[in-house]
Order: sequence, then C-alpha cells, then structure tokens
Amino acid sequence: MNQLRNIIAPVGRRRFLGSAAASSAIAANMTVLDLLQNPVMADEVKRQGKRVILLWLAGGASQFETWDPKPGRPTGGPFRPIDTNVSGIQISELLPKMAANMQDTAIIRSLNTKVADHGTGAAILETGRIPEPGVQFPDLGAICARELARADSKVPDYVSMYAATEGRRHGYSGFLGSRYAPIMLTDKMVPRNLTRLEAVSDVDHVQRNDLRRLLAQRFERGRGHSSSVTSHNDAYERVRGIMASEKLFDIEQESQAMRDKYGPTQFGQQALVARRLCEAGVPFVKVARAWWDSHGQNFETHRELCADLDHVMDALLNDLKERGLLEHTLVITLGEFGRTPNINASLGRDHFANAWSCSLSGCGIKGGTVYGKTDEDGHAVVDGEAKAGDLFATIFKALAIDWETEYHLGARPIPITDFGCSPIDAVLA
Amino acid sequence: MTGSRLIAIVCAIFALPVLADEPPREPLQAVVDYHINQRLQSAGIVPAATLEDFAWLRRVTLDLAGRIPSQSEVAHFRSDSSDNKREVAVDRLMNSADYAYHERNFLDNLLQSEYDGDKEWRAWLLRSIREGRSWHEMFRTMMNGNDDNSDEKPALAFLKKRANDIDAMTNDASRLFFGVSVNCAQCHDHPLVDDWKQDHYFGFKSFFARTYVTKAQLLAEKPPVEVKFKTTEGEDKVAKLLFLTGAVVEEPEDKRSDEQKKADDEAIQKQIREDNAPRPPRPSFSPRRKLVDTALSGENSQLFARAMANRVWARFFARGLVHPLDQLHSENPASHPELFEWLAREFRNHNYNMRWLERGLVLSDAYARTSVWESDGEAPAAELFAVGAIRPLAPRQYAMTMLLATTNPEDFNKWQSADAWPAKRRELEDRADSWRREFELPGENFNVAVDEALLFANGDRVMNDFLRDGGDKLVGYLLKIEDADETITRAFAAVLSREPREGERSAFREFMSQREEKRVDGVRDMVWALITSPELRFNH
Repeated sequence: MNQLRNIIAPVGRRRFLGSAAASSAIAANMTVLDLLQNPVMADEVKRQGKRVILLWLAGGASQFETWDPKPGRPTGGPFRPIDTNVSGIQISELLPKMAANMQDTAIIRSLNTKVADHGTGAAILETGRIPEPGVQFPDLGAICARELARADSKVPDYVSMYAATEGRRHGYSGFLGSRYAPIMLTDKMVPRNLTRLEAVSDVDHVQRNDLRRLLAQRFERGRGHSSSVTSHNDAYERVRGIMASEKLFDIEQESQAMRDKYGPTQFGQQALVARRLCEAGVPFVKVARAWWDSHGQNFETHRELCADLDHVMDALLNDLKERGLLEHTLVITLGEFGRTPNINASLGRDHFANAWSCSLSGCGIKGGTVYGKTDEDGHAVVDGEAKAGDLFATIFKALAIDWETEYHLGARPIPITDFGCSPIDAVLA
Repeated sequence: MTGSRLIAIVCAIFALPVLADEPPREPLQAVVDYHINQRLQSAGIVPAATLEDFAWLRRVTLDLAGRIPSQSEVAHFRSDSSDNKREVAVDRLMNSADYAYHERNFLDNLLQSEYDGDKEWRAWLLRSIREGRSWHEMFRTMMNGNDDNSDEKPALAFLKKRANDIDAMTNDASRLFFGVSVNCAQCHDHPLVDDWKQDHYFGFKSFFARTYVTKAQLLAEKPPVEVKFKTTEGEDKVAKLLFLTGAVVEEPEDKRSDEQKKADDEAIQKQIREDNAPRPPRPSFSPRRKLVDTALSGENSQLFARAMANRVWARFFARGLVHPLDQLHSENPASHPELFEWLAREFRNHNYNMRWLERGLVLSDAYARTSVWESDGEAPAAELFAVGAIRPLAPRQYAMTMLLATTNPEDFNKWQSADAWPAKRRELEDRADSWRREFELPGENFNVAVDEALLFANGDRVMNDFLRDGGDKLVGYLLKIEDADETITRAFAAVLSREPREGERSAFREFMSQREEKRVDGVRDMVWALITSPELRFNH
C-alpha cells in the first residue's frame, strides 16, 4: 500500500483519533474486529503501543569486536569469537552476556553506507538517506514520534540522552516541524524547565494556564485554517503532563536491585530511564554512548566500552522481557559507521562504512538470526548488502509503520524510506 | 474620498468587489487588489472584512518594524482622521530606526540562518539597508565583492561559509536568489519538471566549481576546472557554464601551457595550506562575475526578480504567489499569473527596490483583511488570499515583542520621543538577539515545540526578563494601579494593543479577585496568561 500522506492533514492517526473522540458512544461499541476491516485503522491499532529504544554508539563501534568477528585473520585483532545460545552464531568474546541472550536479537552484518566522516555518516544513519542541501529531513526519532505517538499524548514523544561532549548531535524533526523535535538531555538527567519555579504556587500554575487557554480558544475562533495556531495551544496543554513525567526521569523511583541490574554507569542509568519512559508510553528514546572513535588503542577502547554495552544491553532486554514490553519495544544498536579491517600503527581502527554491522532486538524481529555476510577479512559485503534506507524500511516494518509512506513537501513526495530501498524480511518475525 | 474607500463602501453594499474592466497601471497596491479581487469575484467569494485600526497598525508595525506598537502610537493612529493615514503610518515606520533592523533580520534569516552569529555579515546587511542599496547590488556584492574592500568583505560570507560544499553553494544560490531548487537534477533529470535537467544542475554548478577559500580566509577562483558528470544513460559529459534559463556563457579557450597549469595548481594548494602564501590573483575570466552579469541581463533577469518578489509577497501573505517558494517552474504556476508577472517586471523596473515592493504590498486591501474567517463553511483556499494571513513571529521579532509587551508602557511611550528611540532600539535589538536561540526559526509547517511552552511555564529567564515586578516592567507598573478593572484594561492594552472583551474581562476579574491577598502574584500571572496567548505569538 503506497499511502500518500500530506503533512498538513495526515489521514492515518488523526482521522482515527478524531473520529473516535467525536463519537465516543459509537467507539465504545466498536469491536476490534470492526476496526481491523478498515486498513488505515488496522494499521493504527497495530502501531499503537509500539516503542523504540535506540542505543547509539557514537563515534562508530568496531564490527570486528562486536557482531562480526574474523578469527585467525590478519584483520581480526586479538579477541576470540564465542558461541552464542543460538547455534551457528558467534560474536566477539567482548559481549559474553549478549552471547547468552541472542534469542531475541537479529544481527545485520552487511551495512554499506559508504560515507565515513562523522557528520555525514551520522546524518545518513539518523535520516536513512544522504543529506540534501535545502531539505531538512526528519530523523528516525521524529518519524517514529509522528507515526507512533498519540496526538493527545501526555508524555514526551521523543527523548534523546547524550552526556558526552564529543560527537553530540541534536536530533531534528526537519520539515515535520518542532512538534516532533526531541527533548534533549545533556548535562542533567532531567530535561530543563520540567520543574515548577518555587515562586509560582501549583494552584497559580494551573489557573493562569486556564486564563491562557481562554485567550487561546477565543483567538482560535475562525482561525482554524492555521495549524500553526492550534499547535501553540497544544504545546501548552502538554506542559502539565510532561511535568508529571518528571518522575520518569528519576531512577531513585526504582528499587536498588533494579538499579544494580543496569549497573552504576551513566549509560546504564540512562538505559533504565529509557525503559521507564517507554513503559509510560514514550514512543522513541535515544540513549547515546560515546566515544567509540578508536583511531588509537582500538582494542583497549573496545574492551572497556563493549563491557558497558554488553552489560546494559543484556540488562535492558531482560528487563523489557520480564515486563512483557519486549514484544512491543524495538531495541536498535547502531552508530554512524564501523571501523576499518586494517589495524593502524597506533593499534587503532579508522572510520569504515563499506561493510559493518548493527543489531535489532525485540518488537517485530526474528530473534537469533544473522543477515548478510562480509568477506573473510571484512573488507567488503559479499552477501545481502544493505543501505541505510534498507535498515530504515526494516525498522518501520518491524514497528508496523507502512514503510512506503510518503510525506509531502509542497508538491514533492518524500518517502520515509529512501528511493530504491526495502525491508530486510529475513530479520522480521 | 479616495478610490479605495469608495470601493470599500460599494463592497459593503454589494458584497462582492466591484472591478474596473482594465487593470490599473499603478500604484502597486491598486494592481494587487485588482487581480486578487478579480479572482475572488470569479470564484464568488466575499473576502474577510478589513481590520480595525489598532489591529492593522499592530500587524504593519510587526511587519515593518519587527515589534508591536506603543500605546501612544496606537492612540495617535486612532485619532488621525485623515484619508491617507495608513500611507503616513507606513512611511513613518519605513523611515524609523526599526525598519533597517527588521529588514536585516529578514534577509539574515533567509540567507544565512544556518550560519548564525556572524556579526560582520549582519552589520553589512544593516549598512546596506540603511544606505538604500537595492537587492541586485547586494547580490552582486555577495557574489563578486572584494576581500580588500572593508565594506564588501563581510558580504562574501555567503560564499565562504559554503566553500567546503560546492553542492550546497550551488543549490542555496539557486533556490535563494532564483527560486529554483535544482537538487533533484543532480542525479537525474527532474522527475516532475521538464525545465530542469542534469545539464542545468551541473551547468549552474560550473559557475561555483572554481570557488575556494584560502587559509587566510580570502575568497578566490581557480583557473578553468572542468565539471564532469555521468548522465542516467551512462554518458560522460562536461558541463557548460549554463544559467538556469538555459543561457550559455562562452568561455575563452584555456591557453595556459602545461607548465603554467602545474604552477597555478601548486600556488593554489599553497594558498589553501599556508597562512602567508601569496594572494591569489583575480582570474581574467571569472565565472561568478559572468553569473551575475547573465542573471541580471535581459530576459534572464526574470528569475531573479520573480524569486524576490515572491518571497516578499510570502513574507506578508504567509505563502507565495508561487508556492513553494523554491519551485518557480512551468509545472507550478502562480495563483495569480498576471499579478506575479507584473510584480516581477515592475520590481525590476524599480531597480529591485525592496522598499517600493514592501510599501505597496502592505498598503493593499488584501493585506488589511482580518485573519478571522467568520462566514459559514471552511475558509477559502489559501491561494485566494480571501482572509488575512497568520504568521508565527521570527525569533528576534518574538523576543523584541515580548520585551516591549512586558516593559512599563509609560517608558515605552517616552522612548519613542524622537531622539531617544534609535539608541534605545539598538539596545533592545541586542537584548532580543540574546533570546533568539530559545525560539525556532519558522519554516514551512511551523508548529510550536513543547520545549517553548515549558520555557514559558517554568523558565527562570522568563520570570526574570519578562515578569519581574520592578518599576521598569509592566508588572511593577500595574501594581501601582489600585482599581482592579483598570489594571486589567491596561494590561490588555500593553500586551495586545486592545481592550478586554466580554468574557475575557470577567474571567480576569475573577482571577484577580481570588488573589487580593497576594496581588503581586496575581498581576504577574495575569501578565503571564496574556504573553503566552497565541495572539502575541503570531502576527495575525
């Protein structure tokens, strides 16, 4: 189904919610089966409740030291591969916990995204396409926020956490507009302006907003022809709900035992926050871990960072599963590129985008699979070459988002999946 | 009685606009209204009513001065009973200290928003506007200015900031100056537009392909460089210097010897690497100079004139006569083709004078319509311009408005006395500048981020800058007024330039009566509700 969707008047979600809200009596009598007879609404039901946690490996992690080891080869490095709990799949010994927990995870070993500089590489993997001057493409988080969030959501749609200074990038909603821009956390674990100032009492905070709403409603009369105007009131109406979500950012609310599971590292704590957010209905959370850019001392760097990744990813997947959330939550482990087969004079690996790996776990994914193949030294993809757009299509399909959806920028259709790309069905459940 | 007033009265009687048979020849506003009304009439649509005085003055002050009017400006305008009061107001605003700042911010947002924070560039824009330079003069300086000329040098920032990405330079120059986004034609002939072929993309790129910046930050052009590309059929081609209209620029044969070419290449590499390398000579043949000459000559100049006429139109009417603005091509016709051609042609005939264009557009009846659609049914299609535009304020314009709305209104009136204002306006501009990053630069499909609402709900900077109870602020001023009703009236006047309406007054009165014990908080929160109303966020 190639569904044209106009940005100003999206047909899918809005129509569904609008009609349901407008006729709640009828909605109450509608069975799910009735809903599913309408393909637009069926999609809607399938998408509801889906979430994404993106573990972003900023700087570019080595595929050799993670998902695509090359034992005994000159490019392989000092670490050994180990068996996993899925027969036939081996990964690096630096990920022992994940090795015992591969049943829900698919590995893609055949990414070829060609561009190996940090800025452009990150832009390609964030938007699923090569940047184009003059067009601001939304990133994956903004697209998912738009496709998965409820219009009347009381929680944030897109939260992005990144504490390191190197390689920090703000997410961007591009032409979708800032309704879908991320709430960014950098120096603190809680977003700014989430806490009421002491000088304003809680009653005043609520009642002055009632006054504002009165002015807004009067202003909107006869001005419904501008969606920008209504977005203003919508933003203010979400304030109290988002303030109430402040607790979601507070891991003190979790038991010590749970915090111990995720571990004391910042990455672990942020992953725990991500789980709390997803559990409360936030559709997209990005947690970035820096800085994997190991031009020197690649092996020491990966020994340290992989231990953190392995522990946190394993804890997150287990926790999501125990809560029954994993089947609705897609966990993506991805960076801007991989690292060179050649080991340089500083025992480092440089930028490399021609043959590298990522992983997908949980929602919509056929766990315990490996897709694609690189040659024996990892210089090139020999089977199942995948572009960023193919990965995006796969992610969309796993989330029951129509991967052929098109947005419109004026007269120009812009597909959410880049031209010539399609889902990798082999890793989809 | 003026013609437009007569028409207004006739309209009131017959509902539909009455038109002459022939379009008027001038002034600009009459031509605009003729064409806009003609299309409305043939569609059988009665446009929205004309704005009341205060609302029109507020709209035009935001548009030309980048701020809201003071209460004395509103009172003065209301009490003026002369026929040409709107023309007088527009001329006063265009000659005020405000105009150049706001015009500068418009051009800066348009051209360099991605490279925010270049003070010299912004100073050059301001200087150019104050000195009345035309749009094509400014374009020429941006493309061909001289690094040795201290006035011209900052204008080269347009090219210098894009020098490490010639494709971005190509597409930005094409879409910003000519309203043509040629990106799609980079990899294939444009799928929707017959006008745009790969030859156009690479032909236009050829004008910029030799541009580079030396280590010492000087803009330079290399000797001939071939731009090669592969067509979708796999054919290898060398691009000609081809302007977007299809005009080809012939280049003299490159007669340099191989040794000379090698020496030139080495000199360029040295300039790119070393601070103190000899300065690059100006090439005998400069493609960028040829681009400007070609783009501004004869029929080719239509694109340059159309692109800016369309942008200025969109600035006041929220959408272009051709929309989107960077899609000026044969498959995307103007909503009012004759008007569009007239505006572009006359803009050129008026020496690309932006002020002439702006003045006429804001004096039109089409500009003066209320943004409220009160008739039955949905508002008519936006391209009919039957109802006034609603436009989000740009970051500095919003910050400036917020600062002035929350200042002691008596101070604001006083500053406006002739001598004090230019210095005060400059100080306010700096303060507004410090707020700009808090707000998004509106693009297509603008919507308000929850971050902005959170900032106003809980930000201590909002509290300190806008809601303090000091005597210099609106809150402090209102606290000195004892009568509750009067407090409400003056708060509305300061922030929204109008009286409270029924329903509003009673709600505000009730809010205040519940806070007699803590009046400071009550007044502060009343002002908060006013400044967070969409009525302040948008020019409507």
